[in-house]
Amino acid sequence: MSAQFATKRLGKELQKIRNSRLPPGIELVSAENLEEWLLDIQVLDDNPLYQNQTYRLKFRFGSTYPIEPPEVVFVKLSDRPIPMHPHIYSNGIICLDLLGQQGWSPVQNVESVCMSLQSMLTGNSKNERPPGDDDFVRANQLRPKDIEFYYHDNTV
Amino acid sequence: MPPPNTPEEGVTAPGTRPASPTLPRPSSPHLSSVIAYASRADSAVLELDYQAIEYIGHVDETLLCPVCRTPFHSPITTPCGHTFCAGCINRALEMQPSCPIDRQPINKTRDYHRLPLIVKDQLDRLKVKCPNNGCDHECLREHLEGHYERRCQFTLVRCPDTNCTKRVARRDSLPENGCMHRDICCQYCNEVMMVAELDAHYDHGCTGAVAVCSECDATVVRHRLEKHKSNDCPEAEARCKWQSAGCRVAKKRRIVREHERDGCLFEAIGRLLDERSEDRKIIDDLTGRLTTLEMRNRRREVRRERRNETAARPTNGSVSLDIVDLGLSEDGTLFAGSATDNGAWASPEDYMLAQFERMETQMDDLRKKMMEMDAHQSLNLLQHTARANEQLAELASKVGVLNMHTTWLMNMQRQNYAQQRSGSVAGPPNNGMPATSDDGAARAASENAVRRQEGNRRNSDGRGENPPRL
Repeated sequence: MSAQFATKRLGKELQKIRNSRLPPGIELVSAENLEEWLLDIQVLDDNPLYQNQTYRLKFRFGSTYPIEPPEVVFVKLSDRPIPMHPHIYSNGIICLDLLGQQGWSPVQNVESVCMSLQSMLTGNSKNERPPGDDDFVRANQLRPKDIEFYYHDNTV
Repeated sequence: MPPPNTPEEGVTAPGTRPASPTLPRPSSPHLSSVIAYASRADSAVLELDYQAIEYIGHVDETLLCPVCRTPFHSPITTPCGHTFCAGCINRALEMQPSCPIDRQPINKTRDYHRLPLIVKDQLDRLKVKCPNNGCDHECLREHLEGHYERRCQFTLVRCPDTNCTKRVARRDSLPENGCMHRDICCQYCNEVMMVAELDAHYDHGCTGAVAVCSECDATVVRHRLEKHKSNDCPEAEARCKWQSAGCRVAKKRRIVREHERDGCLFEAIGRLLDERSEDRKIIDDLTGRLTTLEMRNRRREVRRERRNETAARPTNGSVSLDIVDLGLSEDGTLFAGSATDNGAWASPEDYMLAQFERMETQMDDLRKKMMEMDAHQSLNLLQHTARANEQLAELASKVGVLNMHTTWLMNMQRQNYAQQRSGSVAGPPNNGMPATSDDGAARAASENAVRRQEGNRRNSDGRGENPPRL
């Protein structure tokens, strides 16, 4: 029942994306099944940190989507770096309350998540990784949704 | 609560703000009650899945539930003014007890609002396609449930075989078809499949016994050739689908199809006619239901009247009086008489119906009285016989006592006789004298012998073992 709910909702989103294109700077790369989608995002303003770069996002949807958030990470490819940001670890894991159980709301969708990430990058001016990035990247075995983030910084 | 780390609320969801407080405030009670009724009345049909329905034409963004992104199904509005499908908001509240849009706390049990009908009407008027496979019926959403539950021949219903738990399309669910899920072997290609799949197999999968259509060179299963020619073949003669509306076009099917695609002049009329016939069907359906309800209502009223009548009659009216009463009202003049009595009977049928009801209640009365009398009689019988039974038992016990007395006396006599005999053999009888030890032993021996004898006899009689004691 619930899984059907997720696939129907994702079907609707896909249909909507195909009918009426995504906002500028967001592009659907692949959505071959209703479990994992790949999207590319760009930062369109003149923030020097992210100029002329494209980033690859990977969405993974559970059977409880959209009641529970999807798992969203940046993926590193030869031409797709991980954006520099104090809330994005160098392995692509994103610390954003919107993607956690608390901050998520079922009215969010793939498009709105992408736009949030776009604006999160746009608003950043610090060219740095989160504190403890090396340790975290080395030691972390957890899936993003199982990590307990501590939202310590409300300025970025 | 963790502070939002990056984006502002408004920035996060610019693409998703379908329900603003001023917009839809649709009402749920109607729809939800309809659904509840439907699922109760006809559980043989799976509940209609509103999220699987295909809508025809453009549906306004504001009518879409922000959670499932389909037009609202039994919508409810939160205190903060946002509207969701009932199912969606309940599911979301299980995760977080707040509104998914503005995160205001929501108390699930009492915070929902009652909504104006205007949005319900908007939703009801959306055009939809029947979600059943094979059915191309289109109608307004408010009519879909009726179509799906009662009329659509493709709705899955229970298999006619009560032992089978699978479901089958309504049109195949005929008792004479039996279970459609038993295996069958295709007579053309020997493939084994379920009976229910055979039809689709002939159309798409069967490789055996193909025939070539003389018109278009297509290959089809031989016994489907007719169907192919009359329904599908692009080269066969066909008529415009709006011919019932007056279109006279009759050419090769592909030309006719083009004609239909380009817009037949009669299309508008045809659609109107279709809608009308659909409406007619609905009206007929409703009229039928209304009539049955009216009938039932009238019968109930008649029964109530009858009950009042019997209640008003003096309670000591006996059975025979009732019968006489019935007999009188049954004779020749009764129709006219009764008609004046009870005001107006709409028709003789109604009168007969009422009379029937009357007689039925009378029958019930009689039956009840019969039972009463039966009970009374058996009670009487019991009382009378109880006395006799008591006396009989008393007599029996007296006879028993007498019997014991006799036995005891006989024993005494026998003992005395034995004593006398042993006395005459072993020595003089010692009447009342203290016995010597020799004497005592002898007597005890003889007594034992007598006792043993007696014991044997008693055993054979099936009575107690010990000699009687008084």
